[in-house]
Amino acid sequence: MELLIILGVAGLLVLFLISQYNKLIRLNVAVDEAWAQIEVQLKRRSDLIPNLVETVKGYASHESATFEKVVQARAAATSATAVADVAAADGMLTQALRGLLAVAENYPDLKASANFLSLQEELATTENKVSFARQFYNDNVRALNVAIKTIPSSFFAGFAKVTEREFYEIEDPQERNAPKVQF
Amino acid sequence: MWLVSFAAVSYFGGSGVAVLPIAVGFALLTTWWSYYSSDKLVIRMTGAQVLQESDNPKLFGLVQEVCLASGLPMPKVAVVIDDAPNAFATGRNPEHALIAFTTGILDVMERDELQGVVAHEMAHVANRDTLVSAVAATTAGAIAILSDMLMRMMWFGGRRDREGGNNPLLLVISLVVMVLAPVAALLLKAAISRKRESLADATAVDFTRNPAGLRKALEILARDSTVVHQRSNAVAHIWIESPLDGKSVSRLFATHPPIEERIATLRALEGNA
Repeated sequence: MELLIILGVAGLLVLFLISQYNKLIRLNVAVDEAWAQIEVQLKRRSDLIPNLVETVKGYASHESATFEKVVQARAAATSATAVADVAAADGMLTQALRGLLAVAENYPDLKASANFLSLQEELATTENKVSFARQFYNDNVRALNVAIKTIPSSFFAGFAKVTEREFYEIEDPQERNAPKVQF
Repeated sequence: MWLVSFAAVSYFGGSGVAVLPIAVGFALLTTWWSYYSSDKLVIRMTGAQVLQESDNPKLFGLVQEVCLASGLPMPKVAVVIDDAPNAFATGRNPEHALIAFTTGILDVMERDELQGVVAHEMAHVANRDTLVSAVAATTAGAIAILSDMLMRMMWFGGRRDREGGNNPLLLVISLVVMVLAPVAALLLKAAISRKRESLADATAVDFTRNPAGLRKALEILARDSTVVHQRSNAVAHIWIESPLDGKSVSRLFATHPPIEERIATLRALEGNA
C-alpha cells in the first residue's frame, strides 16, 4: 500500500517537474518567435528605404548629407544582430528617416508626387507594425523574465538552460521625450 | 432548436428516464455543431462578405497590426452592408476566426477608433468567447430541458401517487424551482455575456495600449441611434453594441454592460497612462 502512495507522489513530482520545464521552454521559444517578427518588420522597412531615397533624390539631388545619413544608418541596421545593437541601429535609422522626411517638406513637387505619397503611407504603416512587434516582443520577454525570477520556476531555469532576455528599449532620444497630451 | 428538442421529448412522452440523455444529447449536438461551424453559419445569417486584402488595405493593415501585438493568427475579415455602425467576431478558435464590420462603422470611425474596435473583436477571439457562449447556451438549454422533463414526470408521477402521500409544501417549492430554473439560466447567460464584454474591452486595451481609441469609438456608437437590421436574438450577443432595443430589454437580461459604464472604465485607464 505504501509503495503505491510513494509511486503516486513520485509520479506527481515528475509531472510537476516536466510542466515547469516545459513552461520555461515555451516562454523562451515565444520570445524567439517575437524577435523573429521584429526582424521581419524591420526588414520590410529596410526594403522600402532605397526606393524612398531614390524618389527624394529625383527632386532634391543636392541634399547629399541627408541621403548619406540614411544609407549609412540602413547599413548599420541590417548588419546588427544583438538586441541592444538592433535597438540602437533602429533608433539611428528612425532619426535619419525623420531628417529625410523633414528635407522633403521643402520640396512641394516632391510632396505632391504620387510615388512619394504612397511610399510615405507604406513607411507609416510599417513603422506601426515595427512598434507593435516590439510591444509583443517586450510582453513575451517580461513573461519569460518573471518566470525565471519567481519561485518555483526559478529552480528550473538552470536545468532548462533558459536565461533572462533583454528588453527592446528605445534608443531614440526624441521618442523618449514624446510629449504626453492630456485633454 | 430547443423547440425541436421539446417536440422530440413530448413525442416520446415524459415517462421514461432514458429519454433524458437523448434529449440533452440532441441539444448538445446541435449547439456544438453551430459552435463548430460558427464562422460559416454567421456569414450566412448576417450576409457578411469575406474580403481580400486588396479590397480594403487600410482595414487589413489595422487587423495585421493587432495580430502582431496579440500574437494571434490573421482572421477572416468580412463586411456587412448596413448603415448602422457595429462589428462582431466569431469562429471556434483563433485559427478559424472571423471578424466583420458594417459599412456604417467603416465609414464613421477614424483610424485609432477603428483599431480599437478591431482590437475588441480580436479580444473576443483571443478569449475564446464563442466557446464560452456555446457552453453557456448549452447549459442554459440543458437546464430548460431538464426542468421541463422533471415537471412532466412529476405531473404524471403525482397522478399515480396515493392520495395525500406528497408533502404539499415540498411540491410547491419544487414547482417554483422548476419554473424559475430556466429563467435563472438565462439571467446567468446574460451576466456571463456582460462580463466577457468588459473583459474584451480590457484585453483590447492590452493589445493596443491606447484606451482613448476604443473609448472614442464607443462614444460615437453611444451617440448613434441607428440599429443593425440583423436583430435576431441568437446573434445579438456577439455585436460590439447591443442591437436589441435598450428600453424593452431589462438591465438584467442585457448582453452588454451599459455603454456609459464602458466609456467611463476606459477613461479611467487613460488617466493612468
